[in-house]
Amino acid sequence: MTIDFWGMGLQAINVLILIWLLSRVFWRPVAAAIAKRQEEAASLIETAEATQTKMDDELEDVMQDRAGIGAERSEILDTARKEAAATTKNTLAEARDKADAMLASAKTTIEQGRETAQKENETQAAELAMKIAARLLGRLNSAATQSAFLSQLIEAIADIPPADLTALSDDPKGIEVVTASDMTVDHKEIEKALQTALGGKPKLKFIMDPDLIGGLELRSAHFALHNSWQADLKQIQKAVRDAA
Amino acid sequence: MMSPLDPNVLFQLGPLAITQAIVTTWVIMLLLVGSAFFLTRQLTLLPSKRQAAIELIVTTLDTQINETTGASPAPYRSFIGTLFLFILVANWSSLIPGVEPPTAGLETDAALAILVFVSVIWFGVKGSGPLGYLKSFAAPNPVMIPLNILQSLTRVFSMFVRLFGNVMSGVFVVGIVASLAGLLVPIPLMALDVLTGLVQAYIFAVLAMVFITSTVEDGQRLNPKRQEK
Repeated sequence: MTIDFWGMGLQAINVLILIWLLSRVFWRPVAAAIAKRQEEAASLIETAEATQTKMDDELEDVMQDRAGIGAERSEILDTARKEAAATTKNTLAEARDKADAMLASAKTTIEQGRETAQKENETQAAELAMKIAARLLGRLNSAATQSAFLSQLIEAIADIPPADLTALSDDPKGIEVVTASDMTVDHKEIEKALQTALGGKPKLKFIMDPDLIGGLELRSAHFALHNSWQADLKQIQKAVRDAA
Repeated sequence: MMSPLDPNVLFQLGPLAITQAIVTTWVIMLLLVGSAFFLTRQLTLLPSKRQAAIELIVTTLDTQINETTGASPAPYRSFIGTLFLFILVANWSSLIPGVEPPTAGLETDAALAILVFVSVIWFGVKGSGPLGYLKSFAAPNPVMIPLNILQSLTRVFSMFVRLFGNVMSGVFVVGIVASLAGLLVPIPLMALDVLTGLVQAYIFAVLAMVFITSTVEDGQRLNPKRQEK
């Protein structure tokens, strides 16, 4: 049994070459793949842990926010409740004020209506009184009354300024002498007395107006001298209306 | 019948006698490198079944190295793993009729033993420095220096002889039985050779690992300035 040293050396070289080749194409690539996967797994685990930590932090923040939201909700509800109470109070106060105002306005309106009605009543009463008085005075229309009215008319003419009296007596259209009735009037006496009072020769024309009730009045185109029950009653009615 | 102790020279290349063992070694090299290249073409982050299988081989080897020596497997993976795979495939090549396993020859086993001897020195110097490596012979005390030097030679010689004796005897017995009893009778013995080949490859690789790491550890212990990286 001999050893071939050349063959031994060649086999040693062969095995060395095999070691080198397998190191290049097998052991290192596979070990590198394993190490890379381990690194990736470690990285994934690290990332997952970091993500979990981040999620835990965010969950804690969310829980804190949730607690804050609850407190804020309670605060908002309290504020809303207070605002609603204040609004209700204000609304009630406004409604009460409006109701008071409406009540006051209604009272005022009622008072005004009452006053208006009272005035109307007074007016109607005055008118009724005037009618009653006119009817009563119409019964008193006698010669004596007519004579009294004539005297008052003469007195009134005497109070007229001379210029106006001259213009009245010189009126070309004449002067209307208005009486309430022909029954109690003596035209000649009246004409004579008027001519005396007016002066000159005025043109007189007698007219009957039952509305006078009683009395004697002078009327021209630009002048009127009232002297009758009607004028007196109108004056009284005006005074009563003004007093009301 | 040709004696298994005589190399079967196929042709002569200058001073080199190209034996069947050498040619078989080249075939095994091509087979291993080609298979490795094919298997590691597409390594992905999500492994296929094929990738998972080869990663299982590497992981198992790393685990064996770590559990046997306690050292990091990275520096020794290529050497120990290749020794194991080569010896395993070489041992199992005897199952192919007409093929003489390279490990049944003196030259291949001696070459493997020499490589282990040289790797012990290489990794020892690399791990603990030249002084640390030399100091490793003084472990546990300087009195043991001669015995340690002798041990460093005899242990690789014993590896060489163990591998050669086991594989050669298997081939020899199968050859004798086949020549005497016929083709099917040696099958149980060949099955036994499968187990023997696996065990011998494992023993050779583990012993090489133990020798290397014990030298590195002794050197680092006696030369603390140089720590294994």
